[in-house]
Amino acid sequence: MKDFKVLNTRAPRIDGPAKAVGKAKYADDLTMPGALYAAILQSPLAHAKILNIDTSKARKLPGVKAVVTSKEAGLVRYGVSPARYDETLFAHEKVRYVGDEIAAVAAVDLATAQEAVELIKVDYEELPAVFDMFEAMKEGAPQIHDEFPGNMNAEVHQEFGDTDAALAQCDLVVDHTFLNKRQDAAFIEPHSCLAVFDLDGRLTLHTSTQVPHYVMRTVAMVLGIPVGNVRVVKPYVGGGFGPKCEATPLEMSAALLARTTGKPVKMNYTREQVFLHSRARHQFYAEMSLGVMKDGTMVALRNKAVLDGGAYTSFGIATVYYSGSLLGGPYKLKAMKYDGYRVYTNKPTCGAQRGHGGVAHRAAFEQLLDMTAEKLGIDPVEMRLKNIMATGDVTINELDMSSLGMKECVEAVRDGSDWKNKKGKLPKGKGIGMACGFFVSGAGYPIYRSDTYHSTVVIKVSEDGGVATVLTGSAEIGQGSDTTMAMIAAETLGIPLSHVRVVSGDTDLSVDLGAYSSRQTLMTGHATKEAAEQIRNAIASYLAEEMDCSPESISFSDGIVKFDGQPGNFQHIRVQYIKEHRGWTDPPSGEYLTFREAARLAYLKGGTLVGTGKYKPPRLGGSYKGAAVGTSPAYGCSAQVVEVSVDMETGEITVDNMTDAHDCGLAINRTLVEGQMQGSLSMGLGECLFEEVKFDSRGRVLNPSLGEYRIPTALDMPNVKSIIVESSEPHGPYGAKEVGEGAIMPTIPAILNAISDATGIRINELPVTSERLFMALKNKENA
Amino acid sequence: MLLPKFEYHEPSTLQDALNLLSELGGNAKVLAGGTDLLVRMKQKIDRPSHVISIARVPGLDAIIPRNGHGVTIGGAVSAGAISRHELLNDRFLPLALAAGRLGAPMIRNRATIGGNLVNARPAADLPPPCMVLNAEFKLKSASGEREVAAVEFFRGPGEADIEPNELLVSINVETPMPWTGGSYIKLGARKTLEISMVNVAALITLQSPDGVITDARIALGAVAPTPVRAYAAEELLIGEKPTDELFERAGMTGVGLCSPITDHRGTMEYRCMMIEVLVKRSLKQAVERAKSWKP
Amino acid sequence: MKTIIQMTVNGELVESAVEPNRTLLQFLREDLDLTGTKHGCGLGDCGACTVILDGKPVNSCLVLAVQAHGREVLTIEGLAENGNLHPIQQAFVDKGAIQCGFCTPGMILSAKALLDENPKPSELEIRTAISGNLCRCTGYQKIVEAVQEAATVIDGTEVSS
Repeated sequence: MKDFKVLNTRAPRIDGPAKAVGKAKYADDLTMPGALYAAILQSPLAHAKILNIDTSKARKLPGVKAVVTSKEAGLVRYGVSPARYDETLFAHEKVRYVGDEIAAVAAVDLATAQEAVELIKVDYEELPAVFDMFEAMKEGAPQIHDEFPGNMNAEVHQEFGDTDAALAQCDLVVDHTFLNKRQDAAFIEPHSCLAVFDLDGRLTLHTSTQVPHYVMRTVAMVLGIPVGNVRVVKPYVGGGFGPKCEATPLEMSAALLARTTGKPVKMNYTREQVFLHSRARHQFYAEMSLGVMKDGTMVALRNKAVLDGGAYTSFGIATVYYSGSLLGGPYKLKAMKYDGYRVYTNKPTCGAQRGHGGVAHRAAFEQLLDMTAEKLGIDPVEMRLKNIMATGDVTINELDMSSLGMKECVEAVRDGSDWKNKKGKLPKGKGIGMACGFFVSGAGYPIYRSDTYHSTVVIKVSEDGGVATVLTGSAEIGQGSDTTMAMIAAETLGIPLSHVRVVSGDTDLSVDLGAYSSRQTLMTGHATKEAAEQIRNAIASYLAEEMDCSPESISFSDGIVKFDGQPGNFQHIRVQYIKEHRGWTDPPSGEYLTFREAARLAYLKGGTLVGTGKYKPPRLGGSYKGAAVGTSPAYGCSAQVVEVSVDMETGEITVDNMTDAHDCGLAINRTLVEGQMQGSLSMGLGECLFEEVKFDSRGRVLNPSLGEYRIPTALDMPNVKSIIVESSEPHGPYGAKEVGEGAIMPTIPAILNAISDATGIRINELPVTSERLFMALKNKENA
Repeated sequence: MLLPKFEYHEPSTLQDALNLLSELGGNAKVLAGGTDLLVRMKQKIDRPSHVISIARVPGLDAIIPRNGHGVTIGGAVSAGAISRHELLNDRFLPLALAAGRLGAPMIRNRATIGGNLVNARPAADLPPPCMVLNAEFKLKSASGEREVAAVEFFRGPGEADIEPNELLVSINVETPMPWTGGSYIKLGARKTLEISMVNVAALITLQSPDGVITDARIALGAVAPTPVRAYAAEELLIGEKPTDELFERAGMTGVGLCSPITDHRGTMEYRCMMIEVLVKRSLKQAVERAKSWKP
Repeated sequence: MKTIIQMTVNGELVESAVEPNRTLLQFLREDLDLTGTKHGCGLGDCGACTVILDGKPVNSCLVLAVQAHGREVLTIEGLAENGNLHPIQQAFVDKGAIQCGFCTPGMILSAKALLDENPKPSELEIRTAISGNLCRCTGYQKIVEAVQEAATVIDGTEVSS
C-alpha cells in the first residue's frame, strides 16, 4: 500500500523540544536595545463624533517620545477585502465601537505610555448607537458608515435551480431557525509586535500573525512604504484560529511609531484589548427550509443568513458568502437558494474564525436534517448516507469534490460509537447525536485579486550535503505546518526528517499567503514538494553524469542513493568526500552512497544546491457572482457522534463521549492530524455550551477576560475517539488535504442533536447553558 | 497588565502588622493570597497607596486542632491547604469541599480563607460552609480583639463587619456532633474556574444513623447581597425523619429566603429554581454522610 | 522605592532590586530574561504564567516579586538537566501534547507539581491538576496522555535506579 518513510508517521513535531523547554520565542519574548513601549487610546464610546483631540499634555509627559493620531497616520483606507476598505489606522471623524483606535503613544516604558494615553483629551459628541443586527437593519436606525445605507455591509443572493418549484414538489418541508453568539478565538497568546526601521528606511516587523504576507502588504500600503521595504517576521505564535489573519492597528501603530521615533517600538494587546479588537466569529442568524421526499431524499434548501458584523468589514464579505456556499455539500441537492446579509453594528468587528462562515449554518442545517429525519421516521445516519456525496461529485454551486471520504467517515463514527445499539435506546437524560461537515482545503483565490502564486518555497542544501533547509513565508501557528513541510521535503528528497530544517514565517524568504482557510498543507506542501523534487532531480542528473547512468535509474530513500536498486560503483565519490573532510569524525559509510555525498557532488558541479517550488490553484468554480468563495482545490470532510448526559433538574450538560472521523486525504503526520481534530472539537464544544461575548447596553464588552469568557478546561472536555479516514486527494501533495477547520463543522450540531435525543428538546440558540436548557425543559413541561 | 505604584510593607510579627494597619488604616490593603486584591488593583478598582503583606507573619498560615473539639484555621491558610487537610475533610467537610472548588489549583495555592471571607463577595465559596459550621472569626487590631459569628459577618456585596484597622487572624470552628454529615454544591457553567451561579452548604446532624434530624444548617451563596442561612428550611427539618419529600419541601422553603439578582451569569428565575434543587441535593448528600459517620 | 530581594530561581540564587509593584512574572521575564514563562491574561485566568513556588504551582502574574523574596522558584527553564529534556517535557514532545506551545510551560509545571506529590495520578487527578491551565489548541487529550506517559517513565526510572 503506502510506501512512505517519513510521511504518514507519528514523527514528533520539530519545534516540540524548543517549546517544551521554554526556549521558543514568541513576539512578546523579543526585546531590542533602546526599544520604546507603546500603548493605544481606544474609544470609550460606541458611536460618537470626534470634535477635538488634544495630545498636548501627553506629549509633555516626561518619557513620552511620540504621540500619533490620524493627523500623523494619514487616512489611507484599508481592510481585508479591497472591495470594502472601510478602516483607517486611527478614527478621525468618528468612532464606531468601544475600542475604536484614536491615538497611540510611544514612551520609554509601558507605564509611561499608558499614563500618557490617559492624558490625551478627546471631545466627543455622542451619537445614537445600534448594537443589535436586526435593529440596525430597520429604517431610521443610526447610520454607522455613510457609504452603506441601512447599515448593509454586504448582501448575497444566489440561487441554483428553481428552489421554490422544487420545494413545492417535496413531500415534506421542514423549517428551522438558529442563532449563535459572537465568539472570541481565545488564543492564549495576546497579539504582540516589535517594529524596527533600519538606516535605509526598511521596516522589520516581528509580529504574532497568521499571515505575514498580508500584513506586509497592508502595512506598506497604509504607511506608504514600498512593499519591498517591509519585512514581516513571524516568531512562534501562540494560536490564531482566524483573528490573527489580518493586519492589526497594533502592527501599524508600532511601525508608525518606530518610523516617527527612529527607535524600535514594542506593543502588546492586553487580554481585554484582544476582545475589543475581536475579528473573531460573527453572530449569525440562520433561517432555513429543507425539502425532502418521503424516502428521505433531499431535494431543495432555502437558506437565509443575517450576520452581525460589528463596526467594520474585516473578512466579512467572504464570511457572508461562506454561510451560503458551504451548504452546497456534502449532501446532494437539486436546488438551493441563499440570501445573506452582513450588517454593521456599533460593536467590535467580526472576522474569520476556524470554520470561517460555515460553522453556525452547518449547525443549523445538521439540526434541520435530524428534525426532518425524525419526522420521516428515518435514522439520522441512514438519512445522511442516503444523500451523501462521493468522490467526483460536484455540488450544485459547482464545488468539485475531487476526493470525499464522507461516507467512510459516517460509517466510521457510526460503528466507532456503537450508534446502532445506542440511538433511541438510551435512558432519559442521556442522548446521542451525529452530524457531518466539510471545508475548503485552501481558498481558491487570494484575498486581493491577483495572479500571484499562493505559495513559493525555496530549499537550500548545505555545502556538505547534510542538511536541507526549507525556506518559506508560511506561518507555523501551532498547527504544525513547519513539521509538515519538513516531512514533505524529507520524503521527497529521500532523507531522514532530522536532516531537514525549516525556516518560516518571514516575508523575505518566499511568498506565502499564510495560515488561513486550511491552505498550507496543500498549497505550501505542493511548493515544498516541487522544490524538493527540483533538488532531487538536479542531484540525479549530476550523479548520472558522474556515474554514466540514466537519471531515472537513480533513487533516493532513507538518506541513501541507489542505482537501479543497487549500490553502484561510487567509491571514487566517497573517497573524494572523505578527503575533503579530513579530521571530521562522521565519514559517510555503508554499502550505499549517501545523500550527503550525492548532494556534495552536485554542489561541486553546480554551486549551491537550491530548489524552488510554487503553487497556485487552477481556475476554480462557476461564473456566478461570488462563485470564488467556497472554491478550493480540495475539500476535507468529517463526521462526529457525540454522547451527552443532561441533568434534568439543573439543565447541566456533560459531554461524555465524542467519536470523530475526518478525511484529510493522506495524513502527513497522524499525531498532528489527531491534534487538529481534538482541538477543533474542543473549540466546538466551548462554542456550543459556554462561549458568548456579552455586551452591556452601551456596547461595552461585559466579559473581556478568560475568567468570564469561558473556554473549555481539561475537566470539561472528554477524550475523543479520533478516526483518520484517508482518501487520496488528486490535487494534494501526496494526496493530502485539510484537517484544521473541517473538523469543527459537525461538533456543535452533533452536541445539539445529542441534547435533543436526551431531552426531546430542540435548542436553537447558543450557547446551551444549563439555564437555557433548563428553561426550555420547564417550558416544555408547562406546555 | 501593570500594577499601580504603592508602598509595600511586610511585617514579620502580628503586632507590627496590626500597628501598621492602625497607622495606615483606609489607605492600606492587606495582601494575603493576592488572587483578588492584585486583580482589582490591575483593573484599577482598588488603588491603595499602601499594601501590607501578611505572608511573613508567623502562625497565620496554620491549621491547629484544638484537643479534638474544634479547629483553628489561620486567616492566611490557603484554600488548597484547606482542601487537602485530613481533619478538615474528615470533620468539617463542607469547608474542605468548598475550598477545593474555589478557582483552579494555582488560585487555590494562593487564595486564603481570610481573603475569601473578608472580600465578602456574594458568590464566594467559603462563606456558606463557614456559616453552616457556625464558625467564629477572630478579628484583631492594635487596640484589641473581638469575635464575630460567621452568620453576622457579611453585610453586603464587598462589605463585612471588619474595620480598616482590623485583621481576620483566625477562623474557629467547633467540631460538629456525632452523626453529622456535610456537603457543598456549586453550580457554574464550567466544571472548574467558576464563579458560582448558586452555591449551597449543608450540615445535618442525626440522632442516630436511623434517627431523626436533630440539627440542620443550610447556607446559600450568590442568591442575595450576602450569603444567607436558610433558617426556615432548617426549622422544617429538625425533629423529622430524613426523606426525599422532606428535602424537597426544605428546598422550596429555601427559595423563599432568597433575592437573587439577574446578571450576565444567570437570571433571578433560574437561580431561584436552582436553590430548590441544590438545597434538596445538598441535604441528601449530607444525610448520607451523617449516616456513615465514624467516630 | 526599590527593595532588594533574593530568591532561588532554578537552583541558582538571584539578587536584585525591584519596585514593589513588579510581579514575579515581570521579574522573571524582563529582569531575568526567563521568557519561557508566558503572559496570557495577567489576571490568573489562564495559567500560562504558572511557575512552581516553594513546591506549589502558582500564577506568577498574581505574585509580587517581593513576595518571592527568600523563596524557591522553578520555571520551565529549570526543568531540563544537562540539555536532556525532563521526562514530562519528553512525553509532551513524543505524545503530541504541544501545538502552539504557549500554554506548554505552565502545563508542564502543573504536571510536574502533580507528579512530585502524586506519582501515580488517575486521569481525573491529572485533569484536575491542569484545570487552571487553559489550552485552546489540543482539547487536552494528548496532554493528559503525555502526563500519564511521564508518570510511567518517572516511576520506572526510580524503580530501576
